[in-house]
Amino acid sequence: MTLPTSTAGRVCTGFDHPAQLTRQQFLKNFGMGLGALALSSSLGDQPARGDGVLGGTHRSGRIKRVIYMFNSGGPSQIELFDHKPELKRLHGTELPESVRKGQRLTTMTGSQSSLPLAGSSFAFKRYGDGGNEISELTPHLAGLADDICIIRSMHTEAINHGPAVTYMQTGSQFPGRPSMGAWMDYGLGTENSNLPAFVVLVTKGKGGQPLLSRLWGSGFLPSRYQGVRFRSGKDPVLYLTNPNGVDASARRLMLDRLRELQQAGGRSGKQASDPLLEARIAQYELAFRMQRSIPEATDFSSEPKHIFDEYGKDSKNPGTYAANCLLARRLAERGVRFIQLYHPGWDQHGGLPGGIRNQCRETDQASAALVTDLKRRGLLEDTLVIWGGEFGRTSYCQGKLAPNNYGRDHHPRCFSMWMAGGGGRGGTTYGQTDPFSYNIAENPVHIHDLHATILHLMGIDHERLTFRYQGRQFRLTDVHGNVIQDLLA
Amino acid sequence: MRSLLTGSAVFFVLGATSVAVAADKPVDFVRDVRPILSDKCFKCHGPDENARQGELRLDLEVAARKVLSPGKPADSELLKRIASRDPDHRMPPADSKRTLSSREINILQRWVKQGGRYKAHWSFQPVAAVQVPAVKNGGWCRSPIDRFVLSRLEAGGVVPSREAARERLIRRVTFDLTGLPPTLEQIDAFLADKSDKAFDKVVDRLLESPAFGERMAAEWLDIARYSDSYGYQVDRDRHVWPYRDWVVRAFNSNMPYDQFVTWQLAGDLVPKPTRDSRLATTFNRLHSQKVEGGSTPEEFRVEYVADRNHTFAMAFLGLTLECARCHQHKFDPIAQEEYYQFFAFFNNIDESGVYSYFTSSVPTPTLLLSNDKQKAAMVAAEAKVAESEASWRKVTDQRRAAFGKWLEARKPDARSPSPLPGRVYHNDFEKAPGGANRSVTGRFGKAARLTGDDGIGTGVGNFRRFQPFSVSLWMLTPEEKKRAIIFHRSRAWTDAGSRGYQLMLEDGRLSGSLIHFWPGNALRVVTRRKFPVGDWHHVTMTWDGSNRARGLKIYIDGRPSAVTLVRDNLYKNISGGGGDAITIGQRFRDRGFKNGSVDEFSVFNRRLTDLEVAQLFDGRSLDEALATPADQLTRTQREGLREYFLETVDKPYSDQRQAVQAARKTRCESYDGVTEIMVMSDLDATRRRQTYVLRRGAYDAPTEKVEPGTPASLPPFPADAPRNRLGLARWLTDDGHPLTPRVAVNRLWQQCFGSGLVRTPEDFGSQGLPPTHPALLDWLSRDFVSGGWNLKRTLRQIVLSATYRQDSAASKELVARDPDNLLLARGASYQWPAEMIRDNALWASGLLVDKRGGSPARPYDLAVSFKPVKVDSGEGLYRRSLYTFWKRTGPAPVMMTLDASKRDVCVVKRERTSTPLQACVLLNGPQFIEAARVMGQAMLKKHGENVDAMLVEMFRRLTSRAPTDRERKILRGGFDEQLAYFQADPKRAEVFLKTGKAPVEKGIPAVRIAAAAMVANTLMNFDECVTKR
Repeated sequence: MTLPTSTAGRVCTGFDHPAQLTRQQFLKNFGMGLGALALSSSLGDQPARGDGVLGGTHRSGRIKRVIYMFNSGGPSQIELFDHKPELKRLHGTELPESVRKGQRLTTMTGSQSSLPLAGSSFAFKRYGDGGNEISELTPHLAGLADDICIIRSMHTEAINHGPAVTYMQTGSQFPGRPSMGAWMDYGLGTENSNLPAFVVLVTKGKGGQPLLSRLWGSGFLPSRYQGVRFRSGKDPVLYLTNPNGVDASARRLMLDRLRELQQAGGRSGKQASDPLLEARIAQYELAFRMQRSIPEATDFSSEPKHIFDEYGKDSKNPGTYAANCLLARRLAERGVRFIQLYHPGWDQHGGLPGGIRNQCRETDQASAALVTDLKRRGLLEDTLVIWGGEFGRTSYCQGKLAPNNYGRDHHPRCFSMWMAGGGGRGGTTYGQTDPFSYNIAENPVHIHDLHATILHLMGIDHERLTFRYQGRQFRLTDVHGNVIQDLLA
Repeated sequence: MRSLLTGSAVFFVLGATSVAVAADKPVDFVRDVRPILSDKCFKCHGPDENARQGELRLDLEVAARKVLSPGKPADSELLKRIASRDPDHRMPPADSKRTLSSREINILQRWVKQGGRYKAHWSFQPVAAVQVPAVKNGGWCRSPIDRFVLSRLEAGGVVPSREAARERLIRRVTFDLTGLPPTLEQIDAFLADKSDKAFDKVVDRLLESPAFGERMAAEWLDIARYSDSYGYQVDRDRHVWPYRDWVVRAFNSNMPYDQFVTWQLAGDLVPKPTRDSRLATTFNRLHSQKVEGGSTPEEFRVEYVADRNHTFAMAFLGLTLECARCHQHKFDPIAQEEYYQFFAFFNNIDESGVYSYFTSSVPTPTLLLSNDKQKAAMVAAEAKVAESEASWRKVTDQRRAAFGKWLEARKPDARSPSPLPGRVYHNDFEKAPGGANRSVTGRFGKAARLTGDDGIGTGVGNFRRFQPFSVSLWMLTPEEKKRAIIFHRSRAWTDAGSRGYQLMLEDGRLSGSLIHFWPGNALRVVTRRKFPVGDWHHVTMTWDGSNRARGLKIYIDGRPSAVTLVRDNLYKNISGGGGDAITIGQRFRDRGFKNGSVDEFSVFNRRLTDLEVAQLFDGRSLDEALATPADQLTRTQREGLREYFLETVDKPYSDQRQAVQAARKTRCESYDGVTEIMVMSDLDATRRRQTYVLRRGAYDAPTEKVEPGTPASLPPFPADAPRNRLGLARWLTDDGHPLTPRVAVNRLWQQCFGSGLVRTPEDFGSQGLPPTHPALLDWLSRDFVSGGWNLKRTLRQIVLSATYRQDSAASKELVARDPDNLLLARGASYQWPAEMIRDNALWASGLLVDKRGGSPARPYDLAVSFKPVKVDSGEGLYRRSLYTFWKRTGPAPVMMTLDASKRDVCVVKRERTSTPLQACVLLNGPQFIEAARVMGQAMLKKHGENVDAMLVEMFRRLTSRAPTDRERKILRGGFDEQLAYFQADPKRAEVFLKTGKAPVEKGIPAVRIAAAAMVANTLMNFDECVTKR
C-alpha cells in the first residue's frame, strides 16, 4: 500500500533533515530519550544539545549567539554615527531636488511647504586606532571605538515604524513571518535546555512608538520558536511562579502524583508508550526546572558592585535598559542563543537635540558596558552584539527649524548601525552616504544583506534555512540577501 | 527549552520514510509526479514567464514534449539531465539549492516509461461521482464513510481499532460538537441507554445545543481573522462583535453553507438584503487596519483588498493566492492577471487606507446597527423632516403676497445692512496676520500672504451639520494648486478621517466638503471650472443644513459655480475630534495654501442668499436691487430680493425655517446615537474603481487594466451572473465547483479528527498534500452538496461513523506503521484547543457563565498580556473563551500559550505544540488555580468528610470516567500529602485561597480546601483532562 507523500520530506532542501533519522535516533537527540528525562528530577543544567532542524551548522560559524539591542523609533544617524559637516554649512537652506530625486516622503512631511536642511548640534571626533567617528552623545561607546564596526550604509524600503521594525525583525514589512530569533531557534536549537533559546527584554515604561509581541513571534513556524519575553516583575515568564502558599516542595509532591497518574496507564493499567504523553510528562519536568533556572538567571544578587557601577545605576532597577544589558550578559553566559533587547523612544520628529540626549543617557553606558563585560569574560569572541534601529532620519527639518531646535522625519534611504564581537571588524566603518546623509554613496547594506551576514556568522547559509509554508519554501531573507564579506574579519 | 514531540512536522517526516514505491508499480501523475515537478522544476520551468529558463515549461504536457518522449526514457532529455553526473549539465542546477533524491528520479523515470501522461491537478478536477467500495468486513461499517476507510485498511491488511469506551466516546463527541465536556448526568444517561440509537441521540442533542454554534464559531473566527482591535502598530479597539454573534446564530440555525458563504461575500448584494445579510459582510473588513501617522493611505488600502482576496481564497477555495500577487504563481495555474481579477471583486468599496486617529469614526462603508427603538426614531425623524420641509415650501409660496407688500413698502434709500446679518467673524487683515505669514497689499488695504505652514485661527465655526452657515473671502492663488487647504474646521487630514468641513483647491478646482469619515460618510462638491490664477477673486461657500450635497454651494465672484457632486452620503456628525474652529491656510499634515493670499475673511451663522453673496463681491448688487423701484427690477433682481426678504425679513418664513432646523436636528441626533459596524457596500457604476495589475504587487505601480473574473483553470464564471461579489458567490457555490465543497467538508473532518483528509487545508494546490482518501473526500463533498450544503447533517454523518468511534489507543506496531494516522485505523488524539482547555476548567468548577453574545469579556490573563487591559470583575472572568477580548498586538496570553491562532491573517489550521510554558499556565495561572479552588470547595461541601467520594467525582468531572483503584490511591495519596503540607503551616492555605475573585467557602477548613484544590489542579493538568483520547 502506498501512503501519500508527506510534506516533511520536502521541508528543507540541501541538508540533512530529521526525515532521514529513525524515530529512535530522533527521540535520543531530543534530550537523551524522554523517559530518562522525565524521570530525572535533577535540578542540574542539561548539557548543550543541537536540536535545531539543521542538526548543526552548515559550516563552522564564528559566533554562537546574538545580542541584538534594538533601539526602536529610528535613531538619527546624523547625530550619532554619520558625521556631515556639509549639513551644518547648509543649515536652513532647502534640500536640493537633485538629492531627493522625487522619492517618497511620509505623509507627515510630504505636505510641508519647506524642507530646510538641519545640521547636527553635536560634535564628532575620531577615536581609537581605527579612527571611527563617534558623536559626543555616546562617550562610553567612543571608548570602544576599536571594538565596533559602524555600518553607515544600511537601507530599507519601509518608511513607517510598524512595517520598518517588522522588516528588520522578520525580513518582511507585513506581519506573518518569523522573527530572526525564531529562525535561529528553529535552525540551531538551544545550548541550554533549561532556558528558552530566544529571550526578549523590553525596556519598561518607555513611551514612544509601541512594540508588538509579533515582532518576536514565530510567524508560520511552530509557536515554540517564538521569543520568550522576560518580564521585569516577579514572574519573568508567564505564570512561572507557584501560586502563593505553594512552595517548591508542595509542587514537587503534586508533580510526582501527576506523573504517577499519567503513567498509570488509565483504565487499561498498562504503561503508556504514547509519544504525546511522554512529551507532556517531559514538559512538566522542564517547567519545574525552569522555575529554578530562570529566577537564577535573572537574580542579580551575586553581581559585584563594580559591575553595577560599570553598567550604570539604572542596572539595579529591573526592566531598565541598563538592567536588561546586564541580564543579557547573564543569559549569554548561560547559553541563550538569541537575546533581543528593545529600547523605544528614538522617534524625534521634533525636539531632537534634547530627545536624543536623553536616549543616549539611558543607553550609552550600558551598551558599552555589555561589550566590555563580554570581552572580559571571553564571550565576545563568539557573541555578536548588534546596535541599531529600523531606519534613519531626514537631513531636513520636520516642522519649524529653530536656532537650537529641530526635528527629523523618518528616512529609509540610509541609516547607521554598529556591531561588535565575533567575526566583526572592530575599528572600521563600512559604507558611505552622500554629503546630505540622504542617499548611499558606497557599499549599500540592505536589511536582507544584514540578515544573510548574521546567519553566515552563525554558520548558516541563509538560502538553506527554510520552512515550507503555503506551498513554498520561506526563509528569513525571502529571495534576497547577500553576505557582506567585507564586514567579516 | 525545547518542546518535544510536537504536532505535524515530525510525524509527517516519519510518514515519508515509510513510503516506498515498488519498482514496477504504476506511477500516478497527480500523486507522485506533479509534486516533484512542482517543487523541483516549476520555479524555472513553470507558469511564470519571467522566471522561465531555456524556454522550457514542464507544467503543460504539450510544452514538455520537447524533453519527454512518452514510453522512451532513453530519448528523453529530461531524464538524461536529472541523472547526469556532470554538475554543469545536471538538473536542477546546483545554485537552485534544489536536488532530486534517487527515489524521485526513479519515479520520473518510471513515469516516462509508463507513457509520461499529464493529468490536471486533482483538486481542480470535478468532484467525482464515486462508488462506495465493497469491503469484506461489512459488519464493522456504520456508514458509507466507513467503507471507504475500511477498503483501504483491508487493502493494506490493517484492522481497525475497537470502538472507544462509552465515557471516552461521549467526552470526545461533546467536545468536538460543543467545545464543552458532558455533564455527569449526560454520561450516566448514555451509559444506561442500551438502545441501538443511544449514540445517535447524544449527537442529535449536541447538534441542537446552543453551545454548538459557539464551538463552530471558534473555528470560523480563526478563518475570518476576527479580532476586537484594528491591528498593526497602534491597534485601537473596534466594535465588530455583532459579526461574531451573527456567526454563532448562523451555525445554530444551521444556515446552509452556500448561503453562509454568499452572505459573507455578498450579503449586501443579495436580493432584498437584510440587516443580518449585510452584517455578514463584515467578514471582508476584519483585516488589520492602519492609523500610524505618516502612512500612505493607498498603500494600506491595497493591502486591505489583498487581505480580503487572500482570505477569500484560503477560506473557500483552499488556495494560497499570495504568490500570484507579485508574479505568475510558480506552482499553481493562477496567473498574476487572474489574481487581480479576483482582487477586482473586493476593490470597489468606498474606503480609506487609514482609520481615524483623532476620532472614533467607524471606517466606511458601515451599517447602522440600530435597535428597534432607534430605528423607529430614525424613521419618525425622517418623516418629520419631510413634513416640515414640505410645509416650508408651502410657506415660501404663500408669502408671495407679503413679499409684494414689502417690495412696495421699501424706502427709496434702502441699503443693505452692513455687515450683513449673522456675521460672527471678520478679518480684514489690516493687522499683521501672525506666524511667518506676511502682510501684503490686498484686495482692500492689506491682506495675508500665507506660508502654508502657519495657520490663521478664527475662533469660530464649530457648526453642526443641521446648522446653516456661510464663509466668504477674497483669495489669490499664485499657481494652479494640486492640493491646498483654503480653510477648514477639522483636526487633521486623513489622520482624522478629516472630520469637519473644508474648502480646498484640488487639481486647480475649488472643492467643498462636509465630512464624518472620508470618503464613505461625507459629501463633497467640486467646481467644474478651474479657479483663476494670479489675481484676486471672491469666494463664498454656503451650507443650508439640509444634509445633502446640493445644499453646499460655492460662489466665485458673486455667482454660483457649476459643481460636480463627488460624494453625497453624509449620515453622521461633522463635529468632534478637535480643531473646533476654522483655520485659514494650513492643516496638520496637509498641504497649506503656500504663497496664496487671503483678504476680507467672514463667517456667517446662516446661509447667505445669492444677492447677499453678490453684494459681498461687488458691494452693490443688493444695494442696487433694494433701491430699484419694483416695476424696474429685473427678473433676477426680483427673485433675489424675494429670497433676501424671506431669509432676512419675513417672520412666518423664518419660523418655519426654525421648525425645519429643529426637525433636522432631531434627525441628525437619531443617527448620531446609533452604533455602526464595517461592512461591504459597492461603489455605484459611475464611481466604480478600476483595478490594475500591480507590478510586483506594489500599490503605486499599476500596469494593465483588469476586470473582475475567475481563473481559467477553474470552472467558467456563470454567463448570467453579475460581475460583482454576488456573481462571485454564485460561481463559488455552484453545485459543480470542484473546490468549495471539498474545502468545506475537509474542515468538518478536521474538526472531528484533528486533521483533514487533505492535511494541508490551507493549500489544495499542487504544493499541498493530496487527500489521504480521495474517493471519500469526493463522496462526502457530493453528499454535502446534494444534502443542501447542510453542515449539521455532514457533521452528524462523520461522528456517527465507526471510523470516528474507534479508540485512540494503538498498538506499537500500528503507530510504527502509520505514525500520522493517515490510514484512520484508530481514533484521533491531540491536546484540545485553547478554548476547550480553559472552558473545561471553568465548567468543571461550576464557574462558567453561560451567557451568549455581546461585548467581549476580559478575563485575568489580559492583565499580563503584552498590551495589558483592565480585567472584568464578575461574569466577564468566567465566560466561554470565544468571547474573550481579542487584541491583535497583545492577544490573551493563556490562549496564545495554548496555541490559539493570532488572528492576524486567515488561518485554517492551528499549530499544535507542547511546551513548558503551557505547563506553567495550567499549573499556576490564576484562572486555573481559582477554578481548582472553587471546584475543591464545592466538592468538599457536597461530600463532607467522604474524601474518596469527593475525589471520584472530581476525577469524573474532569475526565468523564471513573478512576481505577490505582488512580484513586494516587489521588488519595496526593490529597493526604497536600493536606499535611498545608496543616504544617495553615497560613499557606490562607494565602493560597486568595487567588481569584470568587468567594471562599466559609465553614470548611482552609487547609482542606487548599488540599482539595491541589488535587483538582493535578487533575486539570492530567493528560486525559486536556487531551482528546
